[in-house]
Amino acid sequence: MPTKPRGASAQETLTRDHKRLLYRNLVRAMTLDRMMMRIIRAGKMVGFYHEGGIALAPGVAAGTFLRRDDAMNPHYRAHGIAHMIAKGVDIQSYVAEHMGRVDGCAKGRSSFHVSYPEDHIFGWSANIGANFPPCIGYGFAARYRSTDQVVMNCSGDGSYQEGRAHEALLMTANWHLPVIFWCENNGIAQSSALSDLFPIADISRLAAGYGIPALMVDGQDLLACGEAALAAIAHARAGKGPIFVELKTLRSQEHNVGGLNNEGAHTRDPALMQKWRDTRDPLTLATARLLKDQVLTEAEVADLQLEADREAAAIEVHCEASPKATPSIDELMAGVYAP
Amino acid sequence: MTAIREISLGEAMKEALAEEMRRDDDVFLLGVSIRAGTFLHTKGLVEEFGERRVLDTPLSEPGGVGTAFGAAQEGLRPVLDFMYAGFAYFAGSEVFIQAGQYHFLHGSKHPLPMTLIGTCGVGRRVANEHATLPYGALIHHPGIKVCLPSTPYDAKGLLKAAIRDNNPVFFLWHTSLMALKGPVPTDEYIVPIGVADVKRAGTDVTVLTSGLQVHHSLKAAEAVSSEISVEVIDVRSFEPFDLPCLLNSVTKTTRLVVVDEDFERGGFAAEIAAQMMEHGYDLLDAPVRRVCHPHMPVPGGYIDAYSMPTPARIEAAIRDVCR
Repeated sequence: MPTKPRGASAQETLTRDHKRLLYRNLVRAMTLDRMMMRIIRAGKMVGFYHEGGIALAPGVAAGTFLRRDDAMNPHYRAHGIAHMIAKGVDIQSYVAEHMGRVDGCAKGRSSFHVSYPEDHIFGWSANIGANFPPCIGYGFAARYRSTDQVVMNCSGDGSYQEGRAHEALLMTANWHLPVIFWCENNGIAQSSALSDLFPIADISRLAAGYGIPALMVDGQDLLACGEAALAAIAHARAGKGPIFVELKTLRSQEHNVGGLNNEGAHTRDPALMQKWRDTRDPLTLATARLLKDQVLTEAEVADLQLEADREAAAIEVHCEASPKATPSIDELMAGVYAP
Repeated sequence: MTAIREISLGEAMKEALAEEMRRDDDVFLLGVSIRAGTFLHTKGLVEEFGERRVLDTPLSEPGGVGTAFGAAQEGLRPVLDFMYAGFAYFAGSEVFIQAGQYHFLHGSKHPLPMTLIGTCGVGRRVANEHATLPYGALIHHPGIKVCLPSTPYDAKGLLKAAIRDNNPVFFLWHTSLMALKGPVPTDEYIVPIGVADVKRAGTDVTVLTSGLQVHHSLKAAEAVSSEISVEVIDVRSFEPFDLPCLLNSVTKTTRLVVVDEDFERGGFAAEIAAQMMEHGYDLLDAPVRRVCHPHMPVPGGYIDAYSMPTPARIEAAIRDVCR
């Protein structure tokens, strides 16, 4: 599992405020991920959950510098919560959705689907790779209307095994669309190693075949992820067409809560998972770096964690209080078609 | 002043596309080789609307449907032309699952104004892939509207309605009807989706059908007209389906033949037979009869002319239920 950046060309462009914002969002994302784990372990979640763990720096970076009118497809790792809070989405209704409550973003009928059209996060499908075709459309709409919106198309290495990914690379390159292919590569697709499914280790190498420029960064390094996001957004916003960013990250737990943690026929090594958590946790790494660089103080670090804990607690309390959604079949049938 | 001309079904579709594109800059057209105009309905549109609004897509059906899907979510009103409707199966996830579930599964908050176009129909001698009529498969999946005109008038009015609808609509047309001419007014009109049309009034038996089979059914009705009075209903829209129109007709005729060019198994005709049992069993004086394509892949060569429902097969079914 390579973790060193290779071929990355993004230069240091993050301001002090950018770094503080990224850090705050990572604290929130990892705290909310733990909150989701509490909820599912308490049996309060209606569906499944795919823990974020130590893989949330890429998602935070993907969302932090977007505008509200930039379309985004959040990656399903941590169910996109890192991506969405960083973009400014109020995810309380998304947590309520996971609990099947009337306050859910999809009225408690979808289990886990995101629905924030006002934030240009329109929804998703559980079919992995389904993100690629609509992202062509978001980019197309921006070009059609001559706006400078960009599209942040986040997904994992597994999604690039779908033909749809290759169609999107082809079509966005051919039409010169402002789409960022944000590939959070953790080297494993459910229970199959990437090395078993892909002839190359670096998925970003696909981009060159379509004439799309690519960056590759260490997905455990929050600031490197942030720099890559700034560079990619600037590229797409400037009308230079699509860009590919591969972020090498780690999955230190099973694919979905309660599922197998296998790599093919073999159980993944728990000692290795623990070593990653001890040495490659993006929050631990970012805290050390930002304290050393005097971007944050110890007191501020503690305050940010406290603020995130309060945010998570408030969301949990609110969602628990929201009634379970049990609409009549007639009500549901009335919602099949838009007026 | 209203004038009525005779134009072909293909020309009527082109008028619908052009009028809607003139009316609304958010309407654009994408598909495989549509700038050249593989079929009549897109020929020349690029000259009026330019390459910005008439786009050739690569042979990437999921990518093409996704472009329409995403653009619709961003507020545009895309029209995607598959060329042949059978090619839509390449984008099965997008067409059969995602398009229909988007609005409902995301809280019924956001529209998806997206039109899909594809031609279909048995009888062109080119076999299954080009012939497949996907409406039976489409109506099985909730959330996508489906229509198929039998006349130039209906083609223009339904296509305009599809483009203005805030939901995904699959507008099918029958390849054998492309050159069929019929009266179309110059004034603007819409044929609403979900409304059937009685193409021939009668009192003894109802024939419910669509597309090319409307014409075959009208021939059969004419052939038996001295003995049996046949009412021919053109469903026009499979989803939503105009059940009241069917029940009104069968209240009068007490007999029903469903003519469906699609495969027999689990298709539209079976659905209508089931609905008739549930909603109008007491109206019937005879069992419902289906006339469908046999449950085998559509053959090519000279065979498809008789594997599909023919006027002779329809006539036999009419006589059978009226014994």
